[in-house]
Amino acid sequence: MIERDTLLMALLCIMFVAASADARSIHYGAVTDPAVLACDRQSWRGEAEAAASCYRQILGSDHGPAAQAEAAWALRDPKRANEYFRLALEQSPSDIAALVRWGDLYAAMHQDAEAMEIYREALAVSPAEPFAQLGAARLLADSFQSAATNHLEAALNSTAAGARTGALLLSARMRLEASDYDAAMAALREAQDLVERYDWPPLDVYALLAAAELVAGRHDSEWISAALDYNSSYGGAYATPAHFLVITRRYREAIAWYEKAVAIQPDLATAHENLGINLLRDNQVSRARQHLQTAYERDPFSPRTVNSLRLLDSFTDFRVIDDHDSAAVPISLRLHADEAAVIGPYAIALVRDSINEFTGRYGFELEEPVVVEMYPDHEDFAVRTDGMPGLGILGATFGYVVAMDSPSGRSVAEFQWGTTLWHEMAHVFTLEATDHLVPRWFSEGISVYEEWRSGPNAGVHLPRSVLLAMQQEKFLPVLKLDEGFIRPTYEGQVIVSYMQAGLICAFVESRFGAAKLEAMLVGYGAGWDTEQVIGGVLDLDGVSFDAGFNAYVDEHYGAQVEALERWEELASRLRLALTAQNPEGVAASAAAMIALLPNYVETDSPYLLQADALEEMGRRDEAAAALTAFWRRGGYEPTALKRLAGWLADDGDTGKAIEVLASVNWVDPFDQELHGRLGDLLLEAQRPREALREFQVALALKPHDIVTAHYRLARAHAELGDAARAQAHLLEALDVAPSFRPAQKLLLQLAGG
Amino acid sequence: MAATPSLEFDLNRLWCIAALLTLPAVGLAKHHVVIVQGLGGDPVYSGQFTEQVTRIEAAARSLPGDTAVHVLRDGGATREAFLALFSRLAEAAEATQLTAYFIGHGSYDEHDYKFNLPGPDLTGADIAGALDEVGTDDIVVVNTSSASGALAELVNKDRRVVALATRSGSERHATRFGGFFAAALASDGADTDKNKTVSVGEAFRFAARQVADYFEGNGQLATEHPVLHGERADRFVLARLGKPAPRPVAGRLTALFEQRDTLSADIDALRLRRDELSVTDYQAQLMPKLVELARLEAAIEAEEEARGDD
Repeated sequence: MIERDTLLMALLCIMFVAASADARSIHYGAVTDPAVLACDRQSWRGEAEAAASCYRQILGSDHGPAAQAEAAWALRDPKRANEYFRLALEQSPSDIAALVRWGDLYAAMHQDAEAMEIYREALAVSPAEPFAQLGAARLLADSFQSAATNHLEAALNSTAAGARTGALLLSARMRLEASDYDAAMAALREAQDLVERYDWPPLDVYALLAAAELVAGRHDSEWISAALDYNSSYGGAYATPAHFLVITRRYREAIAWYEKAVAIQPDLATAHENLGINLLRDNQVSRARQHLQTAYERDPFSPRTVNSLRLLDSFTDFRVIDDHDSAAVPISLRLHADEAAVIGPYAIALVRDSINEFTGRYGFELEEPVVVEMYPDHEDFAVRTDGMPGLGILGATFGYVVAMDSPSGRSVAEFQWGTTLWHEMAHVFTLEATDHLVPRWFSEGISVYEEWRSGPNAGVHLPRSVLLAMQQEKFLPVLKLDEGFIRPTYEGQVIVSYMQAGLICAFVESRFGAAKLEAMLVGYGAGWDTEQVIGGVLDLDGVSFDAGFNAYVDEHYGAQVEALERWEELASRLRLALTAQNPEGVAASAAAMIALLPNYVETDSPYLLQADALEEMGRRDEAAAALTAFWRRGGYEPTALKRLAGWLADDGDTGKAIEVLASVNWVDPFDQELHGRLGDLLLEAQRPREALREFQVALALKPHDIVTAHYRLARAHAELGDAARAQAHLLEALDVAPSFRPAQKLLLQLAGG
Repeated sequence: MAATPSLEFDLNRLWCIAALLTLPAVGLAKHHVVIVQGLGGDPVYSGQFTEQVTRIEAAARSLPGDTAVHVLRDGGATREAFLALFSRLAEAAEATQLTAYFIGHGSYDEHDYKFNLPGPDLTGADIAGALDEVGTDDIVVVNTSSASGALAELVNKDRRVVALATRSGSERHATRFGGFFAAALASDGADTDKNKTVSVGEAFRFAARQVADYFEGNGQLATEHPVLHGERADRFVLARLGKPAPRPVAGRLTALFEQRDTLSADIDALRLRRDELSVTDYQAQLMPKLVELARLEAAIEAEEEARGDD
């Protein structure tokens, strides 16, 4: 007897108010009612009208509520299916098969939490229930949760052939996602045997076999023909392989496959959804909307579809800025209207600089316009990237389209937006130069290395967690480095993998020269894997490469790794000195820490504390030197840098003060005062064109002191010889403050005395 | 390509015009400034409140004309002392303007606002009653305490200007508004019309902006939303930035000053009529006046320099 949770029942009763959903998938014996199976066989063969008629007969008869639920579900009436399942369980509370199918219905409706509750309820009564284990594994696998493994193992070890078949297919999919081709094929072969033995439809098996061949580089798989021979309107034959193109970032190819899927199965909502999301990644916004709307009409429960459509609706709040220089690659920015005037000028300049830098360095010329989108709301960026919120990254590159957090989307302490944009622009090159065949680790490695080498806040700065990973020998062999990104096995491994990849690029350039990095890209573009690339380009095997890299790391970071313990001791001593308000002690400990890890410029960097202490002791020049060293090594704490710029300007070093303040723009472009000060310094340095940009941005930030903002603009225009614009801004300033003497003086000067 | 300058105008400018037209009448009146420093509760807040009161007192003492500054702090800042001071002001019946600052912590229990002082707290009713007795309508109230929004209904009156750190009594966290408001009184950045004075409106807008920027910059939900009541906020000056030059009583310089005053009034009158004119007409009329005003200011400066050389 099943004790059903009353609250759960109440919750389930209010679901499914809409009356459509995606197709019912193959159940491999989870349903045993002969009448339903007869209809299912017609459906699996693509005999849609006959199957519908068959299901309608069940619905209108007295086959019992469980069968009627299956029929209603197949007829895309989930509300009615839900009611029948409830009725079935009221009539037969111990019918676990119906209970699990009810869970499957919720899973199909994207109500994952409720579905999981039902599976748990079934497993509480019957701990080995194989289809409940399979259902739970599917839910958890979709959200990449490691707990999926336990449920999957239980289903794989089941004696129920159907659940085992489903588990083998799930396992094959997961193995393929992890590029474990052999294990995936073994699972598929066994699934194929079971399917044939029990006369289940082979469609999912064929689609995954086609996907496996696609992963292995074969596009014209015979398994697609086999699937279409079985059911000519089976869209999964193309949609399933397309998924593996998406996860290897071959979005345009994926679009073509999804297009084929919806062409032969126009009601396949998931294919329309994925087609829409991937069209968005290719900046085909109108077509994306069409397919997402179609997906929504077929399956209004999908959060990815709904989120993406809502995001598209919000595009009316964004402004597109085009920078079309006939001699260069066009650039388009999509920025929130409230931020466009502030971020736009810097983003255009940085993208343009990055294109110039990377074109020369990697010998590849961009062939299409670059589109950069920035989202003030991080969750909008996450939806833009994958249709769902909760993404833990700062930016994403889909090819010629880059999406990222806006600088207003995160606190300045955690986000260098300029560096992120530079990183993403490097991805544009590595992806496009290799026709998207570059592996994740090398693309990330080049991007990280370019942050350090040529980015707006350059300098190699490794978090301590990476030094600890070196100490604990957690770096992966180069041939397995992708796993550190895709399926990390310990907390923080993704960051460690980013840094390792960056260091590998540094190693390659240092030992073999920069041209080899370009040659490696060429190798990947030719379809080589990493083993072939390091063999063909560097004449090394994986083991030799790793040995060389480890020696490089040891040479450059070995001393820092050995100093970690001592560094921590000094950090404790520094904290004690801070508590005791002992600036001499703080300065001494900080200096010793800096000597051990000179590149440590995170927000708790000893450089910052050293500068504070030295200033407190009246040793301002030394404090400035400490902050200069911090800045030179890539430190970007805005308050400290503005203080440094002030000191430099006071000392007459206008050029360096400008450099320091300009670097703060890549962290905190919404600082009004910064733009005013930087513009003033630029004017002082006879650089009115750059000053004008700063003053325009300052005005766009709607400053409290509007008079000074207009006056500054008037000065810049006057310096540039544009008297008319200068006078217009003076008019704005003097209209508010008629007696403002600096503006009056400039007005008289322009008026000829 | 440079952006074309915006030719739209905002409400700030109208406030500035009003200030220019009416400033002298208020500035010359008998003006009492009362500053009450509440309990800090801990050394950090006590230090902050002391610093704010020091700045506000300095600003009050910078004001021209007949200004009396009363500061209640430490042991002298009691409910009894506050009520006694206001009784004396009421009895003297000489105040033509009153500015009252409340710098400290406040609380609100869904019924009563209280400003925290040593001994019995000052209630909202105490404050409202004291203000009502002073005998002038030209009253400015600045209360930077937590929950100060609860005072709005009690102290708002037609001609008063009331600046509060919070929009309601339910915003109970310690506020940042006071620090920014006090800073505004010595800040050129707050002086938006560049007339070397800071009005209530200018100080409020400066501080409110800083409060908003603070919370936004730190990625926090704002726990305070400053509010300003009263339409004459730009009429009342709270601080003068720098010392005004003495005005000559005779000679060429006097004539120049008179010409400048006449022209300034002319410009102010034109600014008040701006809605009746097209943007082009308005600017066409304004520009020559601004150029002339600039020339007069230059002539005054030259004359003053020449006198200095003598």
